[in-house]
Amino acid sequence: MTDPRLADLARRAPETRLLTEPSDLEHYGRDWTRRWTPAPLAIALPSTAGDVQAIVRWAREHQVTIVPSGGRTGLSGGAVAAHGELVVAFDRMNQVLGFDPVDATLTVGPGIALEAVQNAAREHGLAYPVDFAARGSCSIGGNIATNAGGIRVIRYGLTRQWVAGLKFVTGTGELLELNRGLVKNASGYDLRHLVIGSEGTLGMVVEATLWLAPPPPPTQVMLLAVPAMDALMRVFAVARVKLQLEAFEFFTDRALEHVLAHGAQAPFDVLSPYYVVAEFDAGDEASQAAALDMFEACLEAGWVTDGVISSSDAQAASLWRLREGITESLARYKPYKNDISVRIGAVPAFMADMHGLLAREYPTFDVVWFGHIGDGNLHINVLKPDELDQESFVAQCEVVTKHLAAMLHKHGGSISAEHGIGLVKKPYLEGTRSHEEIALMRGIKAVLDPDGIMNPGKVF
Amino acid sequence: MKILVGYKRVVDYNVRVQVKADGTGVVTEGVKLSANPFDDIALEEALRLREKGVAEEVVIVGIGPADLTAHLRNGLAMGANRAIHVTTTEAVQPLTAARVLLKLVEKESPGLVIVGKQAIDDDANQTGQMLAALWDRPQATFAGKVEIADGKATVAREVDAGMETLDVDLPAVITTDLRLNEPRFIKLPDIMKAKSKPIDVIELGSLGVDTGDHLKITHYAAPPKRSKGVMVKDAAELVAALKHKGLL
Ligand SMILES: Cc1cc2nc3c(=O)[nH]c(=O)nc-3n(C[C@H](O)[C@H](O)[C@H](O)COP(=O)(O)OP(=O)(O)OC[C@H]3O[C@@H](n4cnc5c(N)ncnc54)[C@H](O)[C@@H]3O)c2cc1C
Ligand SMILES: Cc1cc2nc3c(=O)[nH]c(=O)nc-3n(C[C@H](O)[C@H](O)[C@H](O)COP(=O)(O)OP(=O)(O)OC[C@H]3O[C@@H](n4cnc5c(N)ncnc54)[C@H](O)[C@@H]3O)c2cc1C
Repeated sequence: MTDPRLADLARRAPETRLLTEPSDLEHYGRDWTRRWTPAPLAIALPSTAGDVQAIVRWAREHQVTIVPSGGRTGLSGGAVAAHGELVVAFDRMNQVLGFDPVDATLTVGPGIALEAVQNAAREHGLAYPVDFAARGSCSIGGNIATNAGGIRVIRYGLTRQWVAGLKFVTGTGELLELNRGLVKNASGYDLRHLVIGSEGTLGMVVEATLWLAPPPPPTQVMLLAVPAMDALMRVFAVARVKLQLEAFEFFTDRALEHVLAHGAQAPFDVLSPYYVVAEFDAGDEASQAAALDMFEACLEAGWVTDGVISSSDAQAASLWRLREGITESLARYKPYKNDISVRIGAVPAFMADMHGLLAREYPTFDVVWFGHIGDGNLHINVLKPDELDQESFVAQCEVVTKHLAAMLHKHGGSISAEHGIGLVKKPYLEGTRSHEEIALMRGIKAVLDPDGIMNPGKVF
Repeated sequence: MKILVGYKRVVDYNVRVQVKADGTGVVTEGVKLSANPFDDIALEEALRLREKGVAEEVVIVGIGPADLTAHLRNGLAMGANRAIHVTTTEAVQPLTAARVLLKLVEKESPGLVIVGKQAIDDDANQTGQMLAALWDRPQATFAGKVEIADGKATVAREVDAGMETLDVDLPAVITTDLRLNEPRFIKLPDIMKAKSKPIDVIELGSLGVDTGDHLKITHYAAPPKRSKGVMVKDAAELVAALKHKGLL
């Protein structure tokens, strides 16, 4: 360790492992966005909250900045370290620390994978209901820092809803115990909620206590072929009344073609412009009959043209693969991603406007739409044509994102539904949040992180 | 040709099965029930044979309580022409199932019976073989590939050493293995159409088969929990630990 700053760090946080190999710097210095060249100073792998505090105090003294890092599945560049930062990764703080059957809570280290939390909950006959395709690699710390959503928000809400308590090290090195698993706690500002969604800019989550839910009842999954955009929300309106929905997702024919090319089984003989994946409680015959009613009503109205239904959990999983496989099937095209939201009721008007914009601005690009439409959340992926270089591609996309941000402003939506602002959406924050709001956010950051060492350059 | 397909309902493959506290069985309330996966494969194969023009009619058979109807409707929606529901409130053991199927075979005179190689609830792997013996017709078990021509079925079987190919004269019994095919999704419009497909209901008692308990189940228990691994510091400690267990 030639850098004297690192030698000092090794002395002050003796239990922390430090990595400086180029391959480690690259591995830990980037997330799923591949736009920035990783260039961190070093990687620190602490094993205790005390170490994390020591790291922050060290960083303040040496004026080194910190990038907290979870599973690096983030899609907004929040965990990118490209300017000599110290990456603090929580790989070694990944244990289940406790389970309380009366509270129905699980206490975990921030580095634990989402899927490991789901499995631990299942071991106790309960469920951790936040869920999405990156479950095997993303971490609870990252989920909390981005207030991750996913495919079951419609039923269970976002990560925020499941956080019962947090241990948090601020940008000054203070260790806070926020809310401590209390259901009721009317004792002033709830700082826990300030931390959730703060994208590592205020400090680091070093422990989380999560609420668990009763396990879901047996469910079934339907895949519906929808002929037109304006029918999507009509189908949703019927489905949410007739069924207890667990998920309501959509994707386009373009998305399906990519997933099929990636090896999935085709659900229908003919392509349809839009598809809906709906999962619903099907514990009894009444709810299965309701699903059929719903389908019949939509078929008669012309809002769906065809549909299949899972007859086993294995089939449910293969229908889900059509939706969940999209992100991976697009990865090779280095897509430019938009993750936007509007009020659910505003989706049709917004989609119509956006359709016009995309047709006008991207006449030649392959644009793939999918997302959590039941939450008003759309993912718009623009694929890079092979012949175009990355820089001019991104430059062209950013022009369109400006228009998109303006359109979102008009419809009262958000430029980031669930992926966070990070680096990727930073230029467009003002379309979604007012000057006054942003000024307040800066003020809050200045209190918790007066030296500006926590994930600088992210969010604003 | 007519094909008869065994179509059993079981606890879904993905459910973590729990033994009842009193050891009298496994918990099925509030638990996802699905077609036995091997039976879905059997039905899929029968439907493909019908689509190829080898068969004209596919009949599924379920043995179980009144609420089995919804399960049979799924099979009809998948494409079976009709269903036979043999009603009973008792648990059905393989020999009873084989005897029931034999009665139906005598009634329906199918050219082929396809059943799963086993049902994933009791994993008995007996019904198809017993039916073939009682019926005194050839059997081809663990089918990975089936072709029908000239009154014969050519069946590639999954055996330990690879694949074994058998020619059997029809009528015969085929039992399906996992890789035979991938069952289709049920189309929602077909569920609507399936509402008007016939389900013959026959009381098991009326078939005159011996349903006496051939096997007595004394109790159910969960497999013993695997004890946690022990960490050893070095090779010497490992050797000592193995010696202590009498393994060295
Ligand atoms: C295939 C795929 C599907 C996805 N689907 C969804 C989806 O449906 N919904 C959704 O919301 N997201 C989705 N994502 C995005 C991503 O998985 C989530 O944002 C996830 O919450 C990020 O977790 P992570 O551990 O990978 O965080 P990272 O990418 O490592 O970090 C994300 C942010 O959190 C900060 N951070 C990480 N750990 C801590 C900590 N302990 N303390 C403080 N800050 C920390 C980082 O600094 C960064 O700003 C998807 C990603 C992929 C690749
Ligand atoms: C019989 C009885 C039973 C009760 N049971 C419960 C109970 O079960 N659960 C419970 O939580 N509480 C209970 N309370 C307490 C009380 O009713 C609640 O706290 C209630 O929310 C207060 O509402 P209020 O409009 O009366 O507010 P006030 O008493 O008028 O004000 C309460 C606080 O809110 C502030 N405030 C009021 N309006 C605004 C505004 N528009 N913007 C910003 N700040 C504002 C005030 O400055 C003050 O700090 C009970 C009270 C009584 C008398």
